Parts: sequence; structure tokens; C-alpha cells
Amino acid sequence: MSGIETVKVIVDAEKQAAKLIDDAMTEASAIRKTIDSLVQQQRQQMLDEAKKEAAEISARAGDEGRLEAEQYERESAKALQALIARASARKDATVEKLVTMMMKLE
Amino acid sequence: MIMSETSKFTEDILNSARQKTDSIVREAEAETQRASEEAKNSITREAEAIVRNARADADAVKRRQISEARHRTKLREQQEKAKVMQEVLDQVRKRTSQLVTDETKYLPLLTHLIENGVRELGDKTVMIHLNKTDLERNKSLEQKVDRNLGHVKIEWAKEPIDAVGGAVISSLDGKIRIVNTLDQRFEALEPKLLIEGRTSLFAE
Repeated sequence: MSGIETVKVIVDAEKQAAKLIDDAMTEASAIRKTIDSLVQQQRQQMLDEAKKEAAEISARAGDEGRLEAEQYERESAKALQALIARASARKDATVEKLVTMMMKLE
Repeated sequence: MIMSETSKFTEDILNSARQKTDSIVREAEAETQRASEEAKNSITREAEAIVRNARADADAVKRRQISEARHRTKLREQQEKAKVMQEVLDQVRKRTSQLVTDETKYLPLLTHLIENGVRELGDKTVMIHLNKTDLERNKSLEQKVDRNLGHVKIEWAKEPIDAVGGAVISSLDGKIRIVNTLDQRFEALEPKLLIEGRTSLFAE
């Protein structure tokens, strides 16, 4: 191989090496670019799931709150009914007591 | 340069390039991996915040619904209690107005109300005003009151007052009046009657 041919082979190898590096940089750039769309996609998916869960929590809370409130009111109504029944049974005695207070000489 | 040396030299160049390309791609991949994990952590925090806020809002909604139910219940209870209490007070008024016909119970009270009024007024001469029924039976009253308040000159007003019972004791010129009617007594005692009545009706 002559000197010129040797130089040519080396220059070709250098060109090939430069191309390899250039291709690798292009690939690296492409890899970096995919991350943006991947992250964006992942973000959208996770936030959609979170929003869905949040909506379910809100709906469930409304139902649970209403049921608890209804239950509380039912129990309170029963207790009030008992209280009023007891008070009604004590009404005559109470009237007597208050009349006695009214007529009491101080 | 012989052929094999040239080949080795070019092979070295290419190997070095390949190593560099590997390094470039690995670095890009590692960088991407790091960025992806950081982004994932950040999104996870964002998503958790959405759910956490929803839970806090949900708790607030539940608390508000329960609180409103408690308020409605309390209001209903107060209304029902007030209704029963009012019925009792009406009965007490009615019974009191009926009791004035029972002289054995009423006359001692009337005498007491008159004497208290006279003492409170503190004048040497006083005017006593009664309702129509009491005016008609004031003979027995006069004697009793005169006996108990011998040092005070008492004049009995001819005009009846509009009251269930009791008396109004006034100075002769009418400028000072002690109102000791049963109606006034009822009003004066009402706070006590309410307390006693509520305790009697609603205590456990």
C-alpha cells in the first residue's frame, strides 16, 4: 500500500468515526426529545387518574354525609319524641308546682 | 506503513469512536432516566395533592352536612320544648285565675301582696286598688289588713282595676304605684317559672 492509499484509508476511518459519533449524538438527541412527550403523557395519565379519584371521593362524601345526617336526624327525632312524651307526662305535676310558686307567700 | 498496521490504526480509530458513541447514548439514556424519575416524583406529588385536597373537601362537606343536621335538630328540639313550656305557662295562668275563687288559698296571698305593697310604698296613708270581685269581698280583707297594718291609714279605691287578682297600692295622689297584681306577679316570676318548669319537664 502506498503512502497516499494509507492516508486515504485513515481519512476514511476518521470520516466513519465522525459519522458514528454524529449518529450517536442524533440518537441521544432523539432520546432526550422522547422524554418530554413521555413525561407529558405520564403526567396527563396520572393527573387524570387523580382527578377521577377526587371526583369519586367527592361524590362518596356527599352520599355519606347525607346518609349520616339522615341517620342523625332519625335518631334525634326518636330521642326528641321520647323527651316530649316524658315532658307531657310531667306536665300536670309541673303546672301544680308552678302554681304553688305563684301562690307562695314570700 | 504496512497493511496490518494501517488496519490496526483504523480499527483503533473506529473502536474509539464506538466507545464514544456508546458513552453518548448511555449518558443520554441515563439523563432521560433521571429526568423521568424526577418528573414522576413531581407528578406523583401533584396527583397526591389533588386527592388530598379532595379528601379534605369531602371531610368538610360531610362535617357541614352533619353540622346542619345538628342545627336543624337543635332548632326542632327548642321549638318543641318551647311549645310544651308555653302550654304549661298557659295552664299556670289559667289555674291561677281559677284559684282566686278559692278564698282559703287566695285571700292570704292577696293580704300578703297588699301588705308588702304598703310596706314598700312607705306612706302613712295609701290607696288600695282591687279588681271587681275582690272589691265585693273587701270587708273581710279590710279587717285583716287594718289589723296587720294598724299604723297606716288605708283608703280603698272604688274603681275596680283590670287584673285577675292582687292589688295596686298607690300614694294618695296616685303618683307612686306599687303594682302587686297576679298578672304582674306572673310576669315577675316568669323567669323563675321557666327555669323551674324546664327542669321539672325536661330533666333526665
